Amino acid sequence: MEADEELPKLTMKINFDTQTLEINPSGDNYVASVDGKTVSVQIVRVDTIHGRMDLLIDGERVTAYVSSDMAKRWVTINGHTMMLTKTSGAKQGVRHDHAGGLIAPMPGQVRSVSVSVGDIVKKGQTLLTMEAMKMEIRIQALKDGKVKSVFAAQGQTVEREQILIEMEE
Amino acid sequence: MTSKPPFTKILVANRGEIAIRIMRACKELGIKTVAVYSEADANAQHVQLADEAVLLGSAAPKESYLNADALIRAALDSKADAIHPGYGFLSENAAFAAAVESANLTFIGPSPDSIRAMGDKAEAKIAMKEAGIPTVPGFEGLESNNDFKKAAKEIGYPVLIKASAGGGGKGMRVVNAESELSDAIESARSEALNSFGDERLLIEKYLADAHHIEFQIFGDKHGTLVHLFERECSVQRRHQKIIEETPSPLLTPELREQMGQAAVTASKAVNYFNAGTIEFIFDPTTSQYYFLEMNTRLQVEHPITELTAGIDLVQWQIRIAAGEKFPFAQNDFHQHGHAIECRVYAEDPANGFLPSTGSLLQFIEPHGPGIRVDSGFSTGSEVNHFYDPLLAKLIVHAENRDAAIQRMQTALSEFIVHGVVTNIDFMQAVMAHEDFANGKVSTRWVEKTLLSSSKLLDNRQHTLNGHLAVGLQNLIAAALADVVFVGSRSQSAVSNESDPFNPWKQTKSYRN
Repeated sequence: MEADEELPKLTMKINFDTQTLEINPSGDNYVASVDGKTVSVQIVRVDTIHGRMDLLIDGERVTAYVSSDMAKRWVTINGHTMMLTKTSGAKQGVRHDHAGGLIAPMPGQVRSVSVSVGDIVKKGQTLLTMEAMKMEIRIQALKDGKVKSVFAAQGQTVEREQILIEMEE
Repeated sequence: MTSKPPFTKILVANRGEIAIRIMRACKELGIKTVAVYSEADANAQHVQLADEAVLLGSAAPKESYLNADALIRAALDSKADAIHPGYGFLSENAAFAAAVESANLTFIGPSPDSIRAMGDKAEAKIAMKEAGIPTVPGFEGLESNNDFKKAAKEIGYPVLIKASAGGGGKGMRVVNAESELSDAIESARSEALNSFGDERLLIEKYLADAHHIEFQIFGDKHGTLVHLFERECSVQRRHQKIIEETPSPLLTPELREQMGQAAVTASKAVNYFNAGTIEFIFDPTTSQYYFLEMNTRLQVEHPITELTAGIDLVQWQIRIAAGEKFPFAQNDFHQHGHAIECRVYAEDPANGFLPSTGSLLQFIEPHGPGIRVDSGFSTGSEVNHFYDPLLAKLIVHAENRDAAIQRMQTALSEFIVHGVVTNIDFMQAVMAHEDFANGKVSTRWVEKTLLSSSKLLDNRQHTLNGHLAVGLQNLIAAALADVVFVGSRSQSAVSNESDPFNPWKQTKSYRN
C-alpha cells in the first residue's frame, strides 16, 4: 500500500488472542467495539520510526508503541508492555501442553541426557540438564513412569518450549 | 589530568554495556581501543564503537570471551599495552591476570595475589577472621557429610552451604532441616565441580531476612586506599541483584563509618589496589554486619557510586593501573543525593525469571535530567542465549530517595523494549511497593513477597482476565498499527506477506 493512499474504509474484524475487535470508519476517525463496548478513536500523530501512535480514545490521550513480528503485536501503553497474538478468529483449541512431555523452559544447550527410551524413572529424578546464560537447569521427572521418547542429544541447541523428553501416559 | 594518556591502546576483554562503558572512558582519556568479539557478536555495538576489533572464536564463551590465550594474542597483535577485563568472564581469574602481566601487558585491576586471596571463599573468610573483620558464623574445610551434620547442628538451622570457589549464586543451597542436608551437599558439590572445577564447600548460618550492603573501595599502587561508601543491593532474584541504591536507607552515619573502615581494613589485608568491593550481610534486627566476600573487579552497579561520590571509577582504574597516584583522601569524599540502578534484563518474571531471547523490534531508552543509561543494545540487536541477559542499566540520580524513586518510575515507564520479554514492569512493581519505599526489602523479599502476587508479574494476563480499560486500549493500538504503519520501512516486512490474518491485505484485493 502506498503511503499517500487513504486508509481502508471497510469495517474490519480483528482477533487478538480470545478477543475480537471491530473497527468502523466514522468520518476522519474510527469507532472501535469489543464485547459490546464502543469507543471513538482518533489518530492524532504517528511516528513510524519508533512505532509510536498518539491516539484519542474516548477523548483520552493515549500514547502507544507497537511492534509487529509475524502474528505477534508488542504494545506498550503507560509503560506497561503486553504481547498480543493475532489469530484467525476461529475458536481457539485447548492448548496442547504435552501432558506427558517435558519441555525446555528456555532456549539453551543440552549439557547431558541421563535416560534413554524404555527407562523406568522416579518422580524428581533428573532426566536431562541444560545450560543457558550461565545457568544450569535440570529437567526432572514430574512423576514415576517410563520414558517414551528422547528428542534431545548432548550438545544440541534447543528452543524454548521444545519437547525434550516424552513420558508414557 | 596529565596531558599524556596513561596508555596508548587498551584491549577491552568483554562485551555489551560494560565494554562500551570502558571504551568511552578510554576515549575521554585519549586512549585507542581494541574490541574483541565472538561470531555471535559480529554486529554488536561494542565492536562498532572500538577503533579496532578482533574476532576471538565461536559464540560459546569458552571459545571466545573466556579464551585467555586468544585474548592475550589479540592484545599483542594489535599492539595494545593493557587489558581491561570488565566484570564477569576472566575479570576475577588470577591466572589470567598473571598471564597478562607475563606478556608484558598491564592488567587493569588488582594484583593476581589479591585476586587469589579473595577468590576462594573459604580462604578469604579465614583471612578476614584474622584481620578482625566480623564473618558469618560457620565452618570451612569440612569433608564428610557427618562433619557437615555436626557443624549444622552447632550453627543451628537454617544453614547455607556454598562452594568455596563459588560466586554468582552457583553451588549455593539453603538447608532448613537435617533431612535436606545430604541432598543439598550432593547437588551443591556437583554444581560447584561443574562450574568451578572445585567441589569444596563451606557451611554457615543462613541469615533469612538479611540485607546485602557492599562498600566500594578504591586504592592506588602507592598505599592510598579509601572507601567510596555503600551500595544497598538487597533486591535480588536467584541470589542475583536486580536493583541497587545508595545511600542505604538502613545505615546510620556511625554504622557507615564503621563498615567503611572494616572494608578498608579488609582490603588492606590483601594488599589491594584498583577498584574492589567488600560485600557485607547486614542483619537489620541486630544492626550486625558480617563479611560475605570481596569482588576483585569493577561491579555492574558501579554507576550509582560514581553519581553520588562524584568520581569516574573506570577512568581512575585505568590511571591507577598505569601507576598514577590517587590524589584524594577519605575526607575528600561525601555522598551527594541518592542514586538507584535498575538492571533491565531480557527475562520473564512470570516464567521464573528465565531468559527471553530474540531480536529487538524496538529499543527506546529514556532520557532526561538525572537519567543515565548504560546499554549495549539498540533496535535490531539480537539477544541470544550464550551470554548474560542484561540489556541495559537504568540509573537515576536525584536530591533524595523519594525523588530518585519517582525519577526511576518515570524513566522505567519511558523505556520501550519490544521483541523480548523484560523485567521492566516487574521493577516498576518493586518501585511502587511500600516495602521498597520503607527500605524493608531483604534479599529474600522478591521470592517471599512479590512472587506470591502473580498479577504483578504478567501484564499479558490483564486481557485474559478482562481488565477491559487496559485491554481495549491495547487492542485498538495493535489493530491500528497494522493500518498506520503499513508501508513504513520498519514494519513493511510484516504488514503483508508474513501475516496470514491481515485483514487489510484482503481490503487491497477487494479494491484491485
